[in-house]
Amino acid sequence: MAKVTREMVERAGIDVDQLLELLVKNAAAELTTYYYYTILRANLTGLDGETIKEIAEVARVEDRNHFEALMPRIYELGGKLPADMKEFHDMSACPPASLPQNPTAEDILKVLVEAERCAVRGYTQICNMTAGKDHRTYDLALAILNEEIEHESWFSEFLGEGPSGHFMRRGETSPFVSKFLK
Amino acid sequence: MRYFSLEELRNYDGVDGKPAYIGYKGAVYDVSGSFLWSNGKHQALHRAGFDLTEELKSAPHGEEFIMRFPVVGRLSDK
Repeated sequence: MAKVTREMVERAGIDVDQLLELLVKNAAAELTTYYYYTILRANLTGLDGETIKEIAEVARVEDRNHFEALMPRIYELGGKLPADMKEFHDMSACPPASLPQNPTAEDILKVLVEAERCAVRGYTQICNMTAGKDHRTYDLALAILNEEIEHESWFSEFLGEGPSGHFMRRGETSPFVSKFLK
Repeated sequence: MRYFSLEELRNYDGVDGKPAYIGYKGAVYDVSGSFLWSNGKHQALHRAGFDLTEELKSAPHGEEFIMRFPVVGRLSDK
């Protein structure tokens, strides 16, 4: 634990235990999403599925990166990840992004976009809590939020909800979060 | 329709297998079946057994997320 770090955040008026619970829940959401997206991606088959497989893969890899980026902040603030993986899964901030039965590509897209929307809500909440008070957590949550918003936009666009204004990643993944992974 | 006082509502906190009910704009909703209300707690910030009308104002979602749950009663004025 980084004692002074935690003290600074507490002095700024943040309930650190509550913040840690949120960070752990969102870390759980990221890692479980990485798992569920693996299954969703594998089932994106055929002409429609193959069209979105690449972009689903980028979201999958970036969600894993989000887990990796969150983990050190949890320990810095004096928190920890649960020892029990099932407990970790069940405390996720978002419901499981499970594969629908006999899914079409559109069915899978709806699962993907709902998972991203849950993440956007979660990181917006963390940003709101930490803005101007816990600069490092805010910076991290904002970086993740930027990527989650792009994921939502990609899937939303494929669902015909309107243009996202985005193009697929060029080069490396996690353009916003990568600074926390070095 | 069953009526709940705020004190009665506290008994439905979702802890130890009890149902998880929340109050919102005079209605009482059963959130027990929701993954996001496990053990009567939502996103580390909100607890079942309370009137959450004020708390929802600062939530990152609208009331449509509450209104999808079954209504089990109304909050009484007493």
